[in-house]
Amino acid sequence: MQSKRDEDLIKQFIESAKSAAAFVELIPSNAESLNNSLIAATGNEMILLAEPDDLDPELFSIFKLNKNVVTEPTKEQISNIKTGITDAFCAIANTGSVCVSVTKNLSSPASMLTRQHIVIIDVNTIVQKPRDVFSDSYLEGKGLKRSFSIITGPSATADMGPLVRGVHGPGKLHIIILD
Amino acid sequence: MENINDYIIHPRQIADKSSKESLQKAIKLALDVETDAVRFNTQTFNTNRYKAVKKLNDYEELKDRARQIKEDSIQNLPALIVKLSHSIKARGGIVFIAGSKKEATDYIKNVCISHNAKLIVKAKSITSEEIELNYEMEKVGIEIAETDLAEFILQVSKEQPSHNVAPAIHRSRESISELFKRNFRTDKRLDTGEELTEFARDILRQKFLSADIGISGANLIAADEGTILLVESEGNIRLTTQLPTVHIAVAGVEKIIPSKKDFGIFIELLATSGTGQSLTSYTNILEPPIDLPVLNLNGRQGKQREFHLVLIDNGRMKMREDDDLREALYCIRCSACMNVCANFQAVGGHAFGGEVYTGGIGGAWTVGTTGSLEKGRFAELCTGCSRCVPNCPVRIDIPRLNTTIKNRLIKADGGPSFQKSFFGNFSTIGKYASIIPVLSNWVSNFAISRKLMEKIIGFDKRRSIPQFAKKTLVKQYEKYRKSTIVKSKTNILTRRVVLFADVFTNYNNPQVGMAAIRVFDKLGVPITLSKVLDDGRALQSQGLVELARNKALKLAAYLEQLIDSGKEVIVVEPSVLSLFRYDYKKLINNDKLFYKLAKHTYDPIEYINKLLIHLEVDLTNKLNIPNPSSTYIFYHAHCQMKTVGAGNAASDFYRSLGFNVSVSNVECCGMAGSFGYKKEYYELSKNVGSDLINQIRKSNSFDNKTIILASGISCREQIEDELNNPIYHPIEYLEKILK
Repeated sequence: MQSKRDEDLIKQFIESAKSAAAFVELIPSNAESLNNSLIAATGNEMILLAEPDDLDPELFSIFKLNKNVVTEPTKEQISNIKTGITDAFCAIANTGSVCVSVTKNLSSPASMLTRQHIVIIDVNTIVQKPRDVFSDSYLEGKGLKRSFSIITGPSATADMGPLVRGVHGPGKLHIIILD
Repeated sequence: MENINDYIIHPRQIADKSSKESLQKAIKLALDVETDAVRFNTQTFNTNRYKAVKKLNDYEELKDRARQIKEDSIQNLPALIVKLSHSIKARGGIVFIAGSKKEATDYIKNVCISHNAKLIVKAKSITSEEIELNYEMEKVGIEIAETDLAEFILQVSKEQPSHNVAPAIHRSRESISELFKRNFRTDKRLDTGEELTEFARDILRQKFLSADIGISGANLIAADEGTILLVESEGNIRLTTQLPTVHIAVAGVEKIIPSKKDFGIFIELLATSGTGQSLTSYTNILEPPIDLPVLNLNGRQGKQREFHLVLIDNGRMKMREDDDLREALYCIRCSACMNVCANFQAVGGHAFGGEVYTGGIGGAWTVGTTGSLEKGRFAELCTGCSRCVPNCPVRIDIPRLNTTIKNRLIKADGGPSFQKSFFGNFSTIGKYASIIPVLSNWVSNFAISRKLMEKIIGFDKRRSIPQFAKKTLVKQYEKYRKSTIVKSKTNILTRRVVLFADVFTNYNNPQVGMAAIRVFDKLGVPITLSKVLDDGRALQSQGLVELARNKALKLAAYLEQLIDSGKEVIVVEPSVLSLFRYDYKKLINNDKLFYKLAKHTYDPIEYINKLLIHLEVDLTNKLNIPNPSSTYIFYHAHCQMKTVGAGNAASDFYRSLGFNVSVSNVECCGMAGSFGYKKEYYELSKNVGSDLINQIRKSNSFDNKTIILASGISCREQIEDELNNPIYHPIEYLEKILK
């Protein structure tokens, strides 16, 4: 029963995230798979990797060795980095959203100053609705105890007339679900 | 369409609607240069909202909860302000409570000066426009960069916002291209949405990287944890609140709710009601000052993070004490009321709005925050069509707010104008005119009379005047009853109905009432006719509330007697049905009686649907049309009928009989009772009506034989003005096709 419901949530989350214009992949939860996915998604450019707030740092142990990865950017670098990687502590099935913390780690610049944001979540953290993130019973109140952004698709505007993706924030949102 | 960038009047010049002239000029400006963009954008939002709320399976319950939270919050506001102040201080933030605009801008100026700030990045904040923050900062030489792209456009064009959520909704991509090309010297191409966005982004990215202070608004603030909710799509709010070391949030005191746990409800309602998305790109939940690294930008390294919350009263606490205007404080600024409003869709917030606040909700906010009743004059553009009511996520009775403003304006103007008295007292006029209807009609159609009518009461001479019938409904009914004997086919004890003889049907439109009588007779359902009593509708729509209440109380007592004697009340005129099922709640202020009226009043087709479901009537072989599927019907549901839940009755009915039915999806025909007759609103009313006419013309297999059905007398008039098709009230058409 439990696993059946989770399957539904995962399916819903993937569908909603795609319809919010995010790119989504589901991969096994290990450092090697994550490394392969991240290399495929980034190419040969500078990458800002924020220390994960919630995921096991070991998952990034291989990718971290990549020469393009920056973890402490200089002033010159910060405004030129094209891709940022963060984790998310939770995802929302109905809306296809990911919840990214605003903390001491560089999750904030990695997800707002870049052109592409790659966000990694654990498959077991998906909840049904936005309001679930705020309820005591879910996530043992984890959502309630921090500053964070619920990110739903890439940055977008319709202020110039037609819908344009990629405004002040990243124009591409790539979600990797670790199973 | 003329060019907005070259138009003779600048929107800023007519932002203050204290005078009737500026309202007139603003409507003209909007219809001349803004209407296409406003219509396209608001209708896109409107369609998307309907789709999005359908996905919220507990939408009605969510609205109830949101409403309750806002009601409680405003009730407990003083205590919440204290609690919030403690929460923020405990985290190292600073709270300042500003009584007035000046106190707020002075405080913010001082914070900026103390940091020797030269450049501020600002996220969209309507409240900051209310306190005229940019103007005050520029006076002391501090640059403010608006970073929301719509606000960026307005900063270049120097216009005021035309919409809460999309402040540059009145501008097309072409007009923005031209504006930028005129104002920026650049070799870059500025033609596509992408090019314009990239151009603005590049300018603003430089500002973000060197700004000293970020100023944001707040969608909501939770008192328990001092948490701020900021909803956006572009990402500029994230940069504004997290790149500079100093963050100032500016918010009205009404934004405070007790608990962060309730953010979830509002987040879901805001995004769906606002842009029609399940969530916008970024929903930020912030507890500043946030312990996050200060990047090595603009020499900020080593600087401490600092957070100021500036809470603004500026008239809000007075609104809280005002039994009529208090409701406006529940607003969460989603703009659903603007997107759903037919008049707003035509003119946008430069006409249907003041210097800052726009749309149906904007009247109360303008009056409340400026202290000037006159500035709320644009509330006249609310026709009371009520389409905003079921679409407001906190269930604000917006038409009622506007009726209050109209009522107060009448008193301030020293009594009702001749025009308002004329349209408000149509029942009395009808009574006398109908004594010698031929003469009345002849006089009122005479060219000289039309000119006089336009001059004296502002009845536009291009409109045809509602004609007085040769015989009133009452007379026709009496004659008919003397000559017709009807056998009852249903159980008399369980089904007895009475047709309410409203004023318009009695004097101007008796054929619709007679159609209902004959249809019910043919179906074997005993029906009688009520007395003719004024319902107060016309008076209320002119803002003559006290007079309307007197009429309503008398009528409600009379209807109660009928209902208590076991009768159901049939109402053929939808605006009257809407009175009994919606307006009377507040007008008669007697819940028990109101709910009794609401439960026992029906549109005739709605009632027949009910009889069909209960198998009390049977229409098999009763139609004189052998093959209904080859008859094309276009049905336009009256605005208020949709609001009171009877909008689909006729389309469902005729579809079930096998007719080929198309329906309109316009919110209102634009006539809206007496609104479209008034000289000053004629063009606006025709502009709104053009949407409906276009839909009819484009409907399935449309030709001059298409049957048009509309329940509202004014809807039918608006359509008859443009099309020569056969047009009926749905009950009239049923009479025609019933054997």
